[in-house]
Amino acid sequence: MVKRGKGLRIGAAALAGVLALSACGGGGDEGGDGPANLRMTVWSANEAHLKLLNDIADEYRQNHPDVSGITFDPLPFDTYTTTLTTQIAGGNAPDLAWIFENSAPDFVASGALLPLDDTLKKAEGYQYDDLSPATLKLWQDGGKLYAYPFSTSPFGVFVNTDMLKKAGQKTPAELIAAGQWTWDAALAAASATQKATGKAGLVIRDFDYKGWDNLSTFWTGWGAEAWSADGKSCGFAAPEMVDAMTTLHKAIFTDKALPGPGTTADFFAGDAAMTITQISRASLLKDNGFAWDLVPLPAGPKGNYAVVGQAGIGVLKKSKHADAAADFLAFLSNPTNSAKLAQFFPPPRQSQLTAETLAKTNPKLKPEQLQKVVIDGITSGVVKPNHAGQAELSQQVRAGLDPLWKPDADVKAVLDGVCAKIQPMLAK
Amino acid sequence: MSQTDIRVGGAQAPPTAARPPRPWWTSRRRDQLAGYLFIAPQLIGSLLFVFLPLVLVVWYSLHEWNVLAGTFDFVGPDNYSALADDPNLGSMLRATGLFSVGLVVFNLALALLLAVLLNQRLRGTIVFRTIFFSPVVVSLVAWTIVWGFLLQDNGGVNGLLDTIGVDGPNWLRGEGTAMFSVIIVQVFKNVGLNMVLFLAALQGVPAELYEAAEVDGASRMRQFWRITVPLISPTILLTSIITVVGSLQVFAQIAVLTQGGPGTSTTVLVYYLYQQAFQFHHFGYGATLSILLFGIVLALTVLQWQMRKRWVFHES
Amino acid sequence: MSRNLSPRAKLVLYGVLLVLAIPFVFPTWWMVTSSLKPVADIFAFPPQLLPAHPQLDAYQRVFELQPFGRQYLNSLYIALVVTVGTLAVSALSGYAFARIRFRGQNVLFLVVLAGLLIPSEVTIVPLFQMFFKLGLIDTHWPLILVPILGAPSVLATFIMRQFFISLPGELEEAARVDGLGRFATFWKVALPLSRPALGAVAIFTFLHSWNLYLEPIVFLSTPEKFTLPQALTQFVDAYGGPMWNVQLAAASLTALPVLVVFVIAQKQFVEGLAHTGLKG
Repeated sequence: MVKRGKGLRIGAAALAGVLALSACGGGGDEGGDGPANLRMTVWSANEAHLKLLNDIADEYRQNHPDVSGITFDPLPFDTYTTTLTTQIAGGNAPDLAWIFENSAPDFVASGALLPLDDTLKKAEGYQYDDLSPATLKLWQDGGKLYAYPFSTSPFGVFVNTDMLKKAGQKTPAELIAAGQWTWDAALAAASATQKATGKAGLVIRDFDYKGWDNLSTFWTGWGAEAWSADGKSCGFAAPEMVDAMTTLHKAIFTDKALPGPGTTADFFAGDAAMTITQISRASLLKDNGFAWDLVPLPAGPKGNYAVVGQAGIGVLKKSKHADAAADFLAFLSNPTNSAKLAQFFPPPRQSQLTAETLAKTNPKLKPEQLQKVVIDGITSGVVKPNHAGQAELSQQVRAGLDPLWKPDADVKAVLDGVCAKIQPMLAK
Repeated sequence: MSQTDIRVGGAQAPPTAARPPRPWWTSRRRDQLAGYLFIAPQLIGSLLFVFLPLVLVVWYSLHEWNVLAGTFDFVGPDNYSALADDPNLGSMLRATGLFSVGLVVFNLALALLLAVLLNQRLRGTIVFRTIFFSPVVVSLVAWTIVWGFLLQDNGGVNGLLDTIGVDGPNWLRGEGTAMFSVIIVQVFKNVGLNMVLFLAALQGVPAELYEAAEVDGASRMRQFWRITVPLISPTILLTSIITVVGSLQVFAQIAVLTQGGPGTSTTVLVYYLYQQAFQFHHFGYGATLSILLFGIVLALTVLQWQMRKRWVFHES
Repeated sequence: MSRNLSPRAKLVLYGVLLVLAIPFVFPTWWMVTSSLKPVADIFAFPPQLLPAHPQLDAYQRVFELQPFGRQYLNSLYIALVVTVGTLAVSALSGYAFARIRFRGQNVLFLVVLAGLLIPSEVTIVPLFQMFFKLGLIDTHWPLILVPILGAPSVLATFIMRQFFISLPGELEEAARVDGLGRFATFWKVALPLSRPALGAVAIFTFLHSWNLYLEPIVFLSTPEKFTLPQALTQFVDAYGGPMWNVQLAAASLTALPVLVVFVIAQKQFVEGLAHTGLKG
């Protein structure tokens, strides 16, 4: 018995030690003096993207012997934020990280990121003032910039003009020329094409009846919003939203203008007449596929509008080499490299937001497409919904909207239900 | 490493025995030592990778842990009272129960049916046995991804149903059919395992018993319920325990097929736990849900173990 | 139940078996054939049972997009190491719990058995922390150590114990009388007799490791270190759009070799599993 008691006590002491260790995990990292090995998490495993990043990193290292290596760690897109947070929780935070617009408020407000203003402003030839203020807004808190918005990508409509013509419909370009490019016209064309060809009419890409924030590309045309600008009150039950969603519901279930829930149709594989997505998806177009066009979003009852998705790069405060990481970020986002990145990611630099510059790196798009969709979009665009605690909010909205995706849904009641669910979380 | 230690200990045992033993160093004690050494790797492993993490989970459940801000504050029982007040608790427990019951019922019933069918004197049963077992060896994620495609509204399942004139539902989008789909996908994946165990048990039932029953004029159904089921009841119990415990751990299937929807109809406890801890970053609350999960598994196992006395025919 | 059936009953039975076989065969069939189709044909309605325009592009893309060969090797070697390790650990402790009498045996068995009740989701966060402290994040160690020593090996130990209990003890007692030590008895007498149970444990363990999904996505972050299930969910374009045929090609590559091995060795597989001692 005595023996066992002693064993227990030793065990308890050991346990307490481990507990203490894990409880203060992450804190107390010694400042790094040796050569820094930087790690940046990204969500693209695309070879061309990684090659460009690695080339820039190699160039940086030639002049910075204090940085022994820079690795880009692609994490799965679907679970990106989850994996990143898990790494931070385990004390394995990267030095730099890409951040989605929907988790921007969480990261910016948490204090996990290093303020960047000073480093960027001091960097040689950086031209900080060239950064478009509209693109920085999401990433600022208390006058400090916490992440660099390396990609501000507007949503546009890709059109399979072959399919529309086959169905005897006017193309969006013709409608635009006639001043008739509205949601009514777009949905009517989509519905008619679906009936004529059996293919899908219009696909809101990545919505798939789950990624509801992509619907903001639709309801913004009605002046609706998920929540108020201050994030305090729910906008789903507002009359604008009810109008927008009623139109959408009818388009899906009565007119079949959009494929119904659980139906997969890929525009880029030739399964749909039109799709709403970001311009960077132009890379998915096959050269020998079908004739296509890229046009701005149709006008809603409230007129023309644009919606953008954003992504930023932040430096983690916990990084042992936060200063080196910030310095590399300044290099990565300087005018020269920003121009290189522009071929994949529309940059926040006003001087580079010209149709000519973008056309050089986006051979698939014509200058007027770039002007109309990208440049006008970035300057006037509304960012996709984002809020502190977005993951949880998003899940609640997703669950709340599910009853809407049935033919006989009561739109108003469902939307009231969404607000009942999320208002307490917003008010917090 | 530890294995080598044991081997050395074991190999040295005989020479030690040759020496005149000290009074307390009996062969019984030596055997005891061997016993401890044999279980040492497992025991140390359990303490390190099961109990220590479990204690840590309890510890986390008493804290509010903000990963991004790097704060870890003691909040006492707050997470537990939040659990009691969680508006999702009811639907989550309901989904968990529904999934477990559905899985156990369908899995055991189908496994038993297949086992009985394959236990007939029939050519080619080995081919069918191979077919029914084959999904067990297919990677879970691959299997689930493929079913995800097949269960789309315009997917293969409805395509097949269409050829026989049935208009299939939108499987993963209806509240009832979504849960049913997740269960069925899991059943087809693993029913082969239970089937094989049942088959072995069936082959262990002495043929004379059936012959005697036949003489008494008992119908096949009656023979099944009166002879087969009681005799294989220990297997039924064990497979049901394993299936129930396994059903509470379902994750990849939900993550790939429904992400907990539509609504919250397929948000089972483990998926909710994953959401809270790894998606919403409420690690403290996630830990609290872990404790709930542990409690449920424990209670169920004790219950089933108790029940064995009631309805298991014989114990070895 | 093994009585002769009338020809009519046989016909009915074959019919029932054939219908029941559909949901077991069709997914694999669809997976393989669809991986040979262009993306546009995958969702053709009604589904094509055979690819109308067969092509092998997707298989080439699998290896271009990911270090898939490397990932294959990772999954394979991890599963093998875990299997061998689990066999060693579980045979030893299963034997001890079944055969050796030592103080606290029952309590210790319950302690170990409790591991069966703890889903890996429960302990994943603290395990992550622990392995981080040891500097083993983004290595294969957590995927090897935890299954061998932690909760997953408990089922193996349970199976081994049940099997050893069901073995007649005379042979071992004879060996003991001949002066063999415990380990020698275990190694030379008991272990050779336990081949069926070892086979079953090996299959269980291999499949468990081969299927792991949550653990790799939590512990690993470098594509060269990924395992197959994790790699399968990575076949998306730069913005998360799935590349269906490539994903299906990868899934086929994951599933087919194991299926082939299984079909060849199905007798050992199935009968090995049947003799797990799980009969009670």
